[in-house]
Amino acid sequence: MTNAQLDTPVLILGGGVAGLAAAVDLARRGVAATIIEREPRLGGRASQFCCKATEACARCGACRLGELMAQAAHLPQITIYTAALAVAAQPRGDGWQVELAPQPNGEIGPGPGRPLSERATLNAQAVILAVGGEAFNPAGKTRFGHGRVEGVFSALELEAMLAQGALGPKAMAPAKVAFIQCVGSRDASLGRLWCSRVCCGYALRMGRVIRGLLPESEVTFFHMDVQDYGRAWEEELPELRKQMRFVRAMPGEVTAGDGGPEVTYALAGEQAIKEGFDLVVLSVGLGPPNGASALGELFGAAKDSDGFLTADGGPAGVFVAGAAAGPRSLNESIVHGGLAASQAASRVASLSEARHG
Amino acid sequence: MRLNECDPGFKHEVAAEPGGAGIRACFACAACSARCPVGANRPDYDPRRLIRLTLLGRREEVLASPLIWLCSSCYTCGEVCPQQVRFTEVLTAIKNIASREGHAPPSAKITAELLAKQGRLLEVTDFENDKRADLGLPPVEQRPQDFQAILGLKPSEGEAGEEPR
Repeated sequence: MTNAQLDTPVLILGGGVAGLAAAVDLARRGVAATIIEREPRLGGRASQFCCKATEACARCGACRLGELMAQAAHLPQITIYTAALAVAAQPRGDGWQVELAPQPNGEIGPGPGRPLSERATLNAQAVILAVGGEAFNPAGKTRFGHGRVEGVFSALELEAMLAQGALGPKAMAPAKVAFIQCVGSRDASLGRLWCSRVCCGYALRMGRVIRGLLPESEVTFFHMDVQDYGRAWEEELPELRKQMRFVRAMPGEVTAGDGGPEVTYALAGEQAIKEGFDLVVLSVGLGPPNGASALGELFGAAKDSDGFLTADGGPAGVFVAGAAAGPRSLNESIVHGGLAASQAASRVASLSEARHG
Repeated sequence: MRLNECDPGFKHEVAAEPGGAGIRACFACAACSARCPVGANRPDYDPRRLIRLTLLGRREEVLASPLIWLCSSCYTCGEVCPQQVRFTEVLTAIKNIASREGHAPPSAKITAELLAKQGRLLEVTDFENDKRADLGLPPVEQRPQDFQAILGLKPSEGEAGEEPR
C-alpha cells in the first residue's frame, strides 16, 4: 500500500501560536506550508488563556490566537491537518521525508484544518518544530497540595476559569487568593534550574483581572523575586504592587484548613505563620515539550542544557519556534514563529535558485 | 549595619568547610524558615536570617550567636529547599568554625566528651545488651577510639580508651 503524498515546501509541526504565526508569515512571503497538529483542534495551550485586560488592554496576546487561526484558515498557501503525528523522518534530497500517522484521539473540534484520515508521506525542504513547551505538573511539588487540598489550582486551571469569567467553585464571590510563584522552575530539587520567565507576568496580570472582576478580593503574591518582564513592565509593576500584597517568601506548605487551603510562610524577621485563603494558585513553569527527545531523534535536533529543543548545530533545514525552544510568552512565540519562517523561506528560496539557476 | 563591620571573606570561609558549599546557592526564599520546627518555638531562630547574616559577613555576630547551636538536625529545611542548600550542613560548617574559635557552648563540649568516652551519646549498658542477648543478638560494640582520634585526644589504633564490649 502506498501512502498519500502530501509534499510541501515547509512542514510545520504544531498548530499553536508559534506554528500558526510561522505559516502566516510564510504565506505572506508566498511560500506554501503544511501544519501538522497532534490534537483534534488548532490553538495549542493559548486556546485556554484568558484575556488579561482590565480597564486597558494588557497586551497579553491571548486574542491573537483567534486572528492567526482565521488568517491560517483563509490563506490558500496554508494546508492544515489536525490529529496527525510525525512518526518517522529522514533526510532526503534537499529536505526531509516525513511519515505521518493519524491520531485517533477524541472529538474533532470546530475550526480550521481537517483531520488526517490515513497514513501519509510528506517531502519538505524545511521543517519547523513548533510543538510548544510542557507546563510543570504541580502534583510533582507535593507539599503545595495540588490534587490533594481543595482550593489549590494550577495557574493554567485559573486561566481556563477566568476565560469563563468565573473564579472556581465559589464562582462570583470576592475571594482571598494566593499565588505561589516558581512552582517547577528555578528548583534544583526538581532538576529544573531555569526561570520560566512568563509566570510573574501572567500571575500578576491574572491577580489584577481578579481584582477587576471582584474588587473586594484580596490577592497575595508569594515570590522569591519579581522577574522583570515586558516592555512596559517597569511602569506596570508599581501599580500592581498597590493592588496586591507582595510577600517575598516561598511558602513551606499548603494544607487543608477548615475554611479552605492554608499557606505556611515566614516573613523576614518573623515567625512562620499559617494563613487561610479561598484559592491558592500555583504558578507552574514552562518546561521542555514531552517527547523532546523523540522529536530530537526524529529530526536530529539538539537539546540545550535545560532540555529545550534548539536548531543550533542541528541538521540543515530544521528550525525551532516558540516555547519548544524555551519559555516564551504568546507575543514572543509569535515573533519567534516569524523568525523561523524567515529562515525557512530563505532556505526554500536558495534551494530553488540552486535548482533553476 | 556598617560595611566595615562586615567580613566579605566569611561566606567563602563557610563555603570552604565540609558541607558549607550549599550556601552559595541560597535564593533567600524562606521556605526553610516556614517549616523549621525550632523556629516555630523560638521566634529569634530563623534559618534565612542566619544565612543572610553569613552572606553579609557578620562573622562575630554569627559565630558567637547561641542560636546556631539550636538546630535539631531534622533536615526539614533541606527537604523543602528549592536550591539544595542543605542548611543543616551549612550550619554544621558554621558551628565547626565557631567551635574552633572557642564559641562552643558547654553542652557541645559535654557531648564531645561523651562521644570520646563512649563512642556514642547514649552509653550502652548491660540493660540493652541483656535484652539483645535474650533476642539472640550480639552485644553492641562501643568504639570510642574513632571519636577520640577525630577529637585529637588519642591515636586512632592501639591504645583504645575502652575495649569494645
